[in-house]
Amino acid sequence: MIKPRATNNRLMKRIWQHKLFYLFMLPGIVWFFLFSYVPLYGIQVAFRDYNFMGGFTGSPWAGFKYFEQFFNYYQSGDIIRNTIIISLMKLLIGFPMPIILALLLNEVRMIRFKKTVQTLSYLPYFVSWIVVVTLMQRLLTPYGGPVNDFMGTMGAESIQFLNNPTWFYQLIVGSDIWKNIGWNSIIFMAAIAGIDQQLYEAAKIDGAGRFRQMWHVTLPGIRSVAILLFILAVGSLMSAGYEQLLLLNGPATASIGSVLDVHAINSGIREGRLSYAAAVGLFQSVIGLILVLTVNRIARKVSDVSLF
Amino acid sequence: MERKWSVFSVFNYTFLALVGFSMIYPFIYILAYSLNEGKDSMQGAIYFSPRKFTLENYAEVFDNARIWKAYQITLMRTVLGTFLHVILCTLMAYALSKKTLPGRSFFTFYIFLPTIFSAGFIPFFITLQKLHLINTFWVYVLPLLFNFMHIIIIRTFLQGIPEELEESARIDGYGDFQIFLRIILPLSGPVLATISLFIGVAHWNDWFSGAYYVSNKNLIPVQTLLQEMLTEAEALSNSMQRAAQQGGQTVGGVGGAGATPESMRMALLVITVFPILCIYPFLQRYFVKGVMIGSVKG
Repeated sequence: MIKPRATNNRLMKRIWQHKLFYLFMLPGIVWFFLFSYVPLYGIQVAFRDYNFMGGFTGSPWAGFKYFEQFFNYYQSGDIIRNTIIISLMKLLIGFPMPIILALLLNEVRMIRFKKTVQTLSYLPYFVSWIVVVTLMQRLLTPYGGPVNDFMGTMGAESIQFLNNPTWFYQLIVGSDIWKNIGWNSIIFMAAIAGIDQQLYEAAKIDGAGRFRQMWHVTLPGIRSVAILLFILAVGSLMSAGYEQLLLLNGPATASIGSVLDVHAINSGIREGRLSYAAAVGLFQSVIGLILVLTVNRIARKVSDVSLF
Repeated sequence: MERKWSVFSVFNYTFLALVGFSMIYPFIYILAYSLNEGKDSMQGAIYFSPRKFTLENYAEVFDNARIWKAYQITLMRTVLGTFLHVILCTLMAYALSKKTLPGRSFFTFYIFLPTIFSAGFIPFFITLQKLHLINTFWVYVLPLLFNFMHIIIIRTFLQGIPEELEESARIDGYGDFQIFLRIILPLSGPVLATISLFIGVAHWNDWFSGAYYVSNKNLIPVQTLLQEMLTEAEALSNSMQRAAQQGGQTVGGVGGAGATPESMRMALLVITVFPILCIYPFLQRYFVKGVMIGSVKG
């Protein structure tokens, strides 16, 4: 029984040698405990009648009462449907856009031009949703906004874009693409830059034109990155982007614009129904987790690429 | 590679030029609007440059005590929050970059787990309440102190620094802390600049905390103020503009002589966006690398 003690001593010695590094990590360990693990422990408020005095563990159990309340709520069907529609549209239309931008930029030979477009395309990512919505409101107003003016010179009728059910989804998806396309294309640009140039030479010798090179060399070259990002994107299918929807959804669009995140935030903080909102949030994260795991498994089966 | 201007090239360059234009135009428009006399702006037809140039909107904005206060809060939280975030994340990342550290993979998992399964908004909010952070300045700073992705990006960078440097410093009689301070930190400029940009922008742009965690009017940051003005001004400015367009008559001054709520809002918007506009092109080559590390190797 001498051996284990010796290794134990060695471990203790190594730990002691690294004492400064544990000190370096200490603030982080404490922070992750307080701001990540304590809330995880607090998930139980979804199953309790939460009151502030009782806290996470002292409030009485309520079982699935708040989940039932949500599913019996007359609008819950609409809210779930809206969430899925908005996220699906963002996913199906928004996901390929950065790839297309990266492919098109890759075909540009004028370096200055390419760099300029790239630099400009990152810009919207760095401004807040408030700024984006304010810009939209100012640009799209029928009362002297440039977009409507421009359409007017083309002979079109002016349109009230905001707070208009006819244009709501187009604006949600469009502004999302506008804000994120440049930023999301960075990773695809990097992947394209990493493709072996010899593959292109070989394809050219085989007589492949530019589009065939794109199809047979570039796209397979960024395939694994695209799949990884797609899996992650599917995971957030149940959250449609709360900042954007809190700001853009108004009374006129409520029936097609109310989503889970916003419902949870409003009923939780505005109305103070914390347990109910926690139940809505938990429903959302569980579905999200199931979706990631499912898509991950499918991706691993059909393509050998997966998150874990 | 030589290539003639094919149909595709012409289309491609035109299309990308349009993309670039659509990214910058809204900001040009806002700048022009904010530099135009407020009442005159209501007649519309300002596209690239102001029609009646004035700095009055900016004067009005900087005259407004509430806006000053909000700008101050935003500056304070951004500077303090960025500084603390970068220092603390770097310390943690440096420790995690030590391959000899006992428990290294455990601690990495410990900080990774919450990123794949988080508690959701309400338990987080209750935690903030229990920590007595609601309605204090610290609710802006403390919840943003650490970020898994940022720690990983810094760690990956630090692992690229040759170990020989540390070895030789040790021979020169440096201790662990001196090595960190004199060798590691000075070499980490690029990655620290990247992380500073990421977190600085997050602080600068955050309106949500101001709107939902704080009710004290003296603690509202600039983005939240902009959001409040957005909701307030929407109805007002629409009706004012309609009146101005239809009748051409002037509407009673709400702000100064010529400034309107709308033109002031645009001036506020410009001073909100301006700092970021100035910084990010210079940091571009760093953050492009940062994004790659973060998403490929993370």
